[in-house]
This record gives sequence, C-alpha cells and structure tokens, in this order.
Amino acid sequence: MASATHGPASTGPSAGSEGPAHERRALPTWRQVGERLISLREGSIIVITLIVVIYFSVNTSAFLTSANFETLLPYFAPFAILAAGEVFVMILGEIDLSIGAMYLFGPVLFYKLNTSFGLPLVPAVIVMLLACTVVGAINGFNVAVVGISSLVATLGMLFTFEGIALIISQGTPVATPGGQPPLGTFGKVFGGGTYSELIWALGIIVVLQIVLSFTRWGLYTVAVGSNKLGASEAGVRVNLIYIRNFMLCSMLAGLTGLFEAVRAATIQPDPAGPNELQLLAIAAAVIGGTAMSGGAGTVVGALIGALFLGVLKDGLVIQGVNANYLLFYTGLAVIIAMTANVYVGRVRRGHSASG
Amino acid sequence: MAEPPAGSPPLIDGEPGAIAPTEASDDVLRVEHIAKKFGPVTALRDVNLHLRKGEVLGLLGDNGAGKSTLIKIICGFQKQDSGEMFLHGQPYAPKSVDDARAHGIGTVYQDLALIDELSVYHNLFLRRERVHRPLPLLANGQMKREARAALDEIGINIPRIDVAVARLSGGQRQAIAVARTVNSDADIILLDEPLAAMGAKEGAQILDLVARLKEEGRVSMIMILHNYVHVLQACDRVSMIQDGVIALDKPTAETSVEELTDIVVNEYRRAREAAHAAPASAAE
Repeated sequence: MASATHGPASTGPSAGSEGPAHERRALPTWRQVGERLISLREGSIIVITLIVVIYFSVNTSAFLTSANFETLLPYFAPFAILAAGEVFVMILGEIDLSIGAMYLFGPVLFYKLNTSFGLPLVPAVIVMLLACTVVGAINGFNVAVVGISSLVATLGMLFTFEGIALIISQGTPVATPGGQPPLGTFGKVFGGGTYSELIWALGIIVVLQIVLSFTRWGLYTVAVGSNKLGASEAGVRVNLIYIRNFMLCSMLAGLTGLFEAVRAATIQPDPAGPNELQLLAIAAAVIGGTAMSGGAGTVVGALIGALFLGVLKDGLVIQGVNANYLLFYTGLAVIIAMTANVYVGRVRRGHSASG
Repeated sequence: MAEPPAGSPPLIDGEPGAIAPTEASDDVLRVEHIAKKFGPVTALRDVNLHLRKGEVLGLLGDNGAGKSTLIKIICGFQKQDSGEMFLHGQPYAPKSVDDARAHGIGTVYQDLALIDELSVYHNLFLRRERVHRPLPLLANGQMKREARAALDEIGINIPRIDVAVARLSGGQRQAIAVARTVNSDADIILLDEPLAAMGAKEGAQILDLVARLKEEGRVSMIMILHNYVHVLQACDRVSMIQDGVIALDKPTAETSVEELTDIVVNEYRRAREAAHAAPASAAE
C-alpha cells in the first residue's frame, strides 16, 4: 500500500526532493492530463467518438448533413436504450442476454393484445411492458435467489421467449398496429416520428443517470456490484436490487422493440436481428465504460458507446467500405475499451492493484 | 460492580465443556441456548452470553469456534436454529440487519462491509442515507457535512471524504467501518476482529476509540479479539467459545494471558488426543 501513493495526495516530500516535486506541481505532464481525462469513465470514448466524427466529416461530404443525421438516428437510439438497461445489470457484475427476446416478444404480444384481445393501443403497450417486466423479475429471481448464473438464466430466457414470439406469431410478419401511414399521435410518439426514438433515448438516459448517481437505488446498485456480501451485511436487500434491475432491463428492451416495430411499420418475428442487436447493445455499454467486473458503469457512457457504434456504421456505409469491416472495428473497440477500463480502474484506485 | 463469585464453575449437564451461564441485573443483551448448524457442521451447540450496560465484553475462541457466527446471529444477518435472545429484557428476534439496527445494535464486520467503489461519506451513511424529501434524491452535501462532523467527533482523521474507500489504507478503512457503526446511534456495538490486519499504531487508535466510547458510557460492546494482551487492556470481561459452547466467563481482572492461553492449548491437546485415539479404537 505504501508504494501505491505517489499521486498528488501523498504527503509533502522531504527537503531533498523539492526540485522535481515543484516542477511536477507547476507543469502537469501529458501523462497526468491524459490520466485525468480518462479517469472520467466516459472520457476516452468521448474523445474517440469525436475523432471518428471528424474523420468521416473530412473524408466524406455526405456525413455532416441533416439528412445523414436522420439516417444515423435509428443506428444508435435503440442501442442506447437497450444499453442503458443493460448497464444496470452489468454494474451488478451480471449480464442480461434475454433483451433480444424481449425486443422480439414485446411487439408480438402488443399485436396480439391489440388485434385478438381488442385492447386499445396504449393499454396494450402497458400490458406488454408489464409482461416484459415480469420476465425480468423472473430473471432477477433466478439469478439472485435460485443462484443460477446470469448468463445461463438469461440465455434460457432468450430462447424461451424468442420461441414464444415465434409460436404466437406463427413466424409470420404482420403490420404494426398504430404504425401505419398516415401516422397518428400514437405512432409518432412510439417510434414513428423522426426524432421520437432520439427523444425517448435522451429522456431515458437522463432519468436513469440521475437514478444511478443520485438515488438510493443507484447507490445500492453500485454497492451490490462492488461488494455483494458487504452490501448485504450493511443491510442492503441484495435480492431486491437484482430483481429490480433485471426488471428495468427487460422492460426497456420490450419498449425498444415496440419503437422499432412502429418505425418499420411491420413486426418481423425473426430472432436473427434481435440477437445481433442485443450483443451490439452490450458492446455499447462496454465501450461506454461499464465493466462487467461489477460496481462500475455509467448510463451516459452507454449513450456515447451507442453513438460511437452508430457513427462507425453510418460512416462506413457512406464511405462505401465493405460492410465486413464494421464487425471488425466494433470488436476492436470493445477490446480497447475494456483494456482502457482496467487501466482507468487502477488510476482511480491510486495505482494499487488491490483494495 | 457486584459480579457473581468466580470459582470453578459447574458443568451443565449434556454439554461437555460448557460452564453455567452468568447474568447481571443491568444486562442489556442476553443470549440463551443459541445453536446453529451449517449443513453437517455445528458452529454453535449451546451458547449463553450476557452483556451489561456500558460493558466491553471480549469474545474469544480459536479459529472456527463460532465467534463470527454468534455475532452474525445477534446482528440479524443470520438466524439461529434454536435458542432465544433478550434485549433490555424483551424478547429479541431480529428479522434483518436493518431490524437489528433499528433496535440499536450496530456491527463492524470482520470484512468491514465497505463498498470500495463508493466514497467515504456514502459508506458512512450506507442504509441510512439522507435524502431531499419529498424528492428521492440523495442529499450529498448534507451527508458530507455530517460525515466530516462525525469523523471529527470520533477523532478519526481522513483527509478527503469524497474519495472512494478503495484508495484508503487498511487502518483508515477499519476506522471508517467503526465510525459508521458508532455514528448510527447504536447502543450495542458488535466488533468482529476490529484489529485484524492493522499496524500497531492504527490498532492503538481503534483501542483508544473503544476506550473513549466506554468512558462516555452510552454504548455496550462485544468485541472479538485474538490478541490476549489487547483483550486484557480493552475489555471488562471475557467469554470464550470453545467447541460451540462458552468455556470461560470471567472479568478480565480475574484472568491472565496465561490462563486464556492454557485453555486454548489444553483444548487443542485434548482434541488431538481424541483424534489419535479414534482411529486406534476403530482398528481394534
């Protein structure tokens, strides 16, 4: 521990070593500036996203246009919402692999409720969201109380509910209720309007970041993720936090599924898309600084991670680059972001490897 | 201080090694016939314990004797299989750690139960956060001020209270865990090895804090310690758990490091002889 504190907080140097110490205080080294920037969890990815934006702006005239901005939106808004929910689970040190299923199952159930059971649009949405939330509660229960690993528990839920979506829909695409032109208020609000998803995404991000940073729920989420036993010894109801966070994650996935179904005007019961989408959402959360090691993560980071992936995809498409590069760059970004995260963790802990 | 006369205590029938339980009129906490098993492992067979008002009770016992289990039962983290507890004469069966805390029982765990990722003041107020009512938002400024005041009052010097506790030294972490419990208005404080992994100076600071709290006379404490010198220095009375029962219960003034050591060593020898004898008798 003693060798671990050569930061500015260490006690004053003895008379002999005054020279270098003064120099350091007067002129922070590039290393220190860099460390300070990346100790902001989202710092590095903000910089990288800006670099990517500048690169595409310089290289392709079509990138910095309002038309392209509208193209970009669906590339990142849904990821941002999915990733925001995933952040709450990943801070616990867990993962939810069933959000793809909720994304698929949600709209299918919504369609069924509206057409077969005659529920009006908004009540159908509410019942659908409740159903997704219940699935999340089961996930949380299975992980926290039964003790199944989150990867296994949610993987099982992924197949189960993608299966249920296929069974209910009989694998047939249908027109989304409320999503047909000309769009009414419902369609415009729930994903059909040009900026609808963006506004939802920003609203959800702001609210959830406040929840994470400034409420007991957020504090306990970090506490449980950082030290599960310690948190429970202090009286935090760990199981409740688990169940609640999985509920949030599933509900947001169902909501995102609805947005995309309204935007596309069809409900496409094909698991391939959602499966890829959920992995990209997890990637966005990771790139945004949420480590699955527990106790660390930000919702704003998830938004920026999603923005990064969106800009990358959009830019590469405009540039006409072979689409195969997209996965390659995404993979690199995940690995680099994780490496940076480990390093940031050390900087924040004052260079000590252990607590 | 009218203690029951200490002599060679009689054996309770059925529980070898156990001494008759003692009690006093000013007991704040009584633990009676507590037993606890973890699967096939018996942690506590039949434990009787009492804590007098303002007293510092040293809870001793070898590794695995069940000291931490007893502490976790008293603080509501675990439930006993059988037996009862009484708090200020009333039956006491905590449903949770929060419930125990509401009854005025605070605990400093062996592992400290600190959250590395959270700041000093968030750790100090964990489960007792101040919020801006009616909004559910954390009142961080208020918590910072109160945390600073609380640490100053207790006499713990932490230069910055908004850094993550992961950055603090072992002694500082220990001090914060103790401060959290002291600051929670507990009138019974349970300390599970508060001096573990501490340097001599840091250990002395914690013992000073215990002594100051004792002088104030507001709180009663049960403290698990391993170093018998510390026990004799800090505690009024000692209870020793051995083999799941209380094997010794004496005021510290009437015992010595030698006696405490002898009990443990004799128990070890007896257990070793029993272990040697068992296979021999099985072979016959």
